[in-house]
Amino acid sequence: MTVKFQEGRRRHLLRATTALSGLLAAAVVAGSLGVSAVSAQESFEAITDENVYFRGWQFRTDVVQGNVDTYNETMGGNVDYATVTGDYPAIMEQNLIAGGELDVLYANPSSAVRYFEGGWITPATALPNSDEIMEDMYPNIREAWTHNGELLGLSYFVSVRGTLLANLELIEEAGFTEEDLPATWPELYDMVYALNEAGVDTPFLPHWFAEYFGISWGFVFEVMNRGGVVADAETNEPMLSVDGPAGETLADWKELWNSGLVPEEVLSYNEAAFIDAYRSGRYVFSPQQLYDIKTFNDESQSADVAGHITLLSSEEQSWGLIDSAMYMMTSRDRAEDHTQDVMNFTSWYGYKNEEGEYAVANRWLEENMLFSAYRSVMESDMAREAIESAVARPEDYQTLLDVYATTDYPAGIWNVVWAEEFNSWLRDKLFAFLQNDLPVEEVINEANAEIERLNDRYGL
Amino acid sequence: MNGSSARPSRSSEPTPHGAPKPRRELSDLQFALVVTVPVLLFLVVVVAYPLGYALYMSFHDIRFFGGYSAEFIGGENYAGVLSDSAFWGALWLTIRFTIVTVLLGLLIGLGLAIVLRDLPPGWKWLRALIILPWAVSPYGTGIFFAYLGRGQTGFGTAFANALGIDEAINFISAQWVIEYLAFGNAWNMAPLVAFFLLANMLTIPKRLYHLAALDRMNRFEQFWNVTLPPLRFTLFVFSCILTVLALKTFDFIFTQTQGGPGNASSVLTYLIYRISFVNLNLGYGAAMSFFLLALILGLTGALFFFWGRKVSR
Amino acid sequence: MTRKRFSIWLILAVAVALLWTFLPMYWTIKYAFMTKTEIASFPPLSFPPAPQLASFFNIFGFDYTLPDGTVIPASGQARQVMLGLRNSMIVSVIVTTITMVVVLPVAYVFARLEFTAKGKLLAAILLSVSLPPVSTLIPFYAVYVQLGLVGTITGLVIVTLTITIPIVVWMLIGFFRNLPPIEQLARIDGFSRLYTFTRIIVPMARSGVLVASVIAFLFAWNEYVYAQVLVTGSQAVTLPAAMSGFLFQVPEPAHLAASLLVSLLPPFFIAFFLQRHIAEMNLV
Repeated sequence: MTVKFQEGRRRHLLRATTALSGLLAAAVVAGSLGVSAVSAQESFEAITDENVYFRGWQFRTDVVQGNVDTYNETMGGNVDYATVTGDYPAIMEQNLIAGGELDVLYANPSSAVRYFEGGWITPATALPNSDEIMEDMYPNIREAWTHNGELLGLSYFVSVRGTLLANLELIEEAGFTEEDLPATWPELYDMVYALNEAGVDTPFLPHWFAEYFGISWGFVFEVMNRGGVVADAETNEPMLSVDGPAGETLADWKELWNSGLVPEEVLSYNEAAFIDAYRSGRYVFSPQQLYDIKTFNDESQSADVAGHITLLSSEEQSWGLIDSAMYMMTSRDRAEDHTQDVMNFTSWYGYKNEEGEYAVANRWLEENMLFSAYRSVMESDMAREAIESAVARPEDYQTLLDVYATTDYPAGIWNVVWAEEFNSWLRDKLFAFLQNDLPVEEVINEANAEIERLNDRYGL
Repeated sequence: MNGSSARPSRSSEPTPHGAPKPRRELSDLQFALVVTVPVLLFLVVVVAYPLGYALYMSFHDIRFFGGYSAEFIGGENYAGVLSDSAFWGALWLTIRFTIVTVLLGLLIGLGLAIVLRDLPPGWKWLRALIILPWAVSPYGTGIFFAYLGRGQTGFGTAFANALGIDEAINFISAQWVIEYLAFGNAWNMAPLVAFFLLANMLTIPKRLYHLAALDRMNRFEQFWNVTLPPLRFTLFVFSCILTVLALKTFDFIFTQTQGGPGNASSVLTYLIYRISFVNLNLGYGAAMSFFLLALILGLTGALFFFWGRKVSR
Repeated sequence: MTRKRFSIWLILAVAVALLWTFLPMYWTIKYAFMTKTEIASFPPLSFPPAPQLASFFNIFGFDYTLPDGTVIPASGQARQVMLGLRNSMIVSVIVTTITMVVVLPVAYVFARLEFTAKGKLLAAILLSVSLPPVSTLIPFYAVYVQLGLVGTITGLVIVTLTITIPIVVWMLIGFFRNLPPIEQLARIDGFSRLYTFTRIIVPMARSGVLVASVIAFLFAWNEYVYAQVLVTGSQAVTLPAAMSGFLFQVPEPAHLAASLLVSLLPPFFIAFFLQRHIAEMNLV
């Protein structure tokens, strides 16, 4: 699914994003659903005095706290917000198993499926207005978030992890121009070595950091970007092959690692260190989170690179993978009224507030350029302004939307109960592959075998 | 010789109610039991139950999906651990980390103690500063040494750059990360070692040093024959403490390297954490944790057998 | 054996010791006074170019306006940092008190008395020193869930006691051993065992007792492994767990450094107090 917006820049956001969503979905989009369709709002007011425990990972906690405060003040809510840090998916899983004090939580799709399979989640389909919500979502994202016919949660954000960023200043300093920017992974590696020859010590910061969404996700999206599939979306059968995209990816990784161009410490980075490293202006290319373009081009946060960070075009291939998160409701033991409170809050927070506005989603878009799964949010003027203010050059606006529109989603290894287990195994194996110089075939065969084993174990 | 005995202590002077009336005394054993049994009971109740639970898990295959199930599989988990190359790799990293930590901790502790002891009278306040690293949490120490050691942010790079060398100096490398971690751990623990050694040194009567001077001992002989002997028990205790703490270390590594780069600092605790906590492979993780426990007991036992018996009496 | 003056070697040794002590802390703490850009710059800056105190306001929930008018917004973690500070205080004080009351007699008994089952009893206590938190983490969690102790201060106190009690016993045994055998004389004088212990031994061992209570305090104050699992994201969150929010996902090194510095103040204050006590001992 290659998208080309070649016939000139679109003036009107509405048209652009309508086209975008159409392509995303390959489905009919009936124009803007429009905020005018605000239904007479059911009340979001809290009924009980019970706390609603809302937990998430640490991302702009100030914004979240502000939103929660607004809810508590205007709707008389008792939402207790706190962050859970460290190994987020694991800690949440413990909490869910235990049926602890937890009502609403963030989750990536892969964790979400697992939590759902564990029976700890009330799907968003249980909300009274779930039909309206699902109608408002981009179909490809709705699909990614649906498991066994149930919509798992409401939209927190949708992004592209692995958007390939480039530091134009460094490229020009090394004697190259925008014309030389690579369009595919093989071209990217060629350019990395060319830059090195031209005197750049660290041309590339690969997605090899230590978080659970680090090196393993880096492998998955590179395989997909090159046209491969890790596991079949329907049957979860392994699909990696030595002479296909997976083999090419690993061969390129081995060459890069052995060239010594990547500092070893990257393998111990957390995400903060990974972002700070790119922000320092030391690296030319790096696969990063789409919304971090805003961070990098923000003078007050990243003065060393601000205004120079662009992204590679998706004309020839996609970059990265769809990285998204949902607000999910737990199914722990609660009184019925209390559960009603949980639903009211979730709906208010994850969809529309009492005035029919996407207050939370809009704020995320405005402040951090977090995209939403809701068309109505993405098809607003505000969205265009938010994106345009975040990119280095006007033409990047279109590139960014293109990249967003073409991104793949690894349903075969994410929308399955063993997703986190395989991810953890893959992370370890890939580190060993680099550090112990394992043969490419061995890693790929073992990865396929591991998927088979997990399928067996869970009876798939 | 001792601070509190030098000054008249209120409590040791006869008070109006004075010595209590003589009564039948408990035997040593009875007294010991009265004092220790409640503590033991607390520990047994609070520690033994989780431990027993872990033991139970280690003989089962526990699953949470498709309904919770725990299937008895005998010693399969234990056998699995023994044939797991990740276990043996982590075991070696753990031992290496522990040995280097103990050596660095004791040596640096001893060095610091001597420096502190020799401070001129007006400079004793420096002691309060040298002690400080020990007050830092292992978790905080991990963060400190992560920023200090990475090429991206580290002191090495800044220093090299100040000398005009344009290179990133990185200590968090697969080759040296274990030693670097041990170095950080020693930074954390050495002041405590120093502190106890100093307390011991201060109880060494000055006349012994006078005698040593009369015997024309050089400084090394003086250190070896006068200063060191009374420190032996403390050194032994600390080598045990450092061994156990190093083998148990988790948060320090968790915040510093996340077991990395790659798996280069994935010691046993970290591996177990990932198996049990991240992958929810509870039975296997529990089985591996018993190997770790055996290692801890084995090493401390060995320390006691080869060294402790000589110094503890 | 106190020398009267500084020699060249001593000055050098002191300098090395100070560098060893402060460089690692300084390297991170300096971030508290820097902006994001300054922190990320490469090669790394050794000194904050324009030190400012924004982070310290931010972590306690206040915006901070730089001289040039830029507003650095308060951290969303502020509530947890403050809660953590309070909870860490409460947990540490309770744990220290209970530990000392329980441990002093036990350590004394093991250090000074001979009795038949001594070896076995000691081994039993020391066994719990050896338990790695990672192997009891999940069992503890499971038990706590059943007892409703997850996310409570009581739960954290109990689990922390299992760490402090054995290790403090172990450390104090060594200290009691080195005391002069005064209790034999006291016993001959007809003092009871309890009296001897509370009125003679404990005051005599004052410095050891102090050190031991500081150790207990620090173990409690610095505990992160259990806290991360048992109280993170709850009302009973402790400071290390609250702080770790700055460590992952989004880089906030300045806030991390500022809260680390705050977390170091109580232990540092106590360490200073301890130092005065050693000086007292040294008067003899």
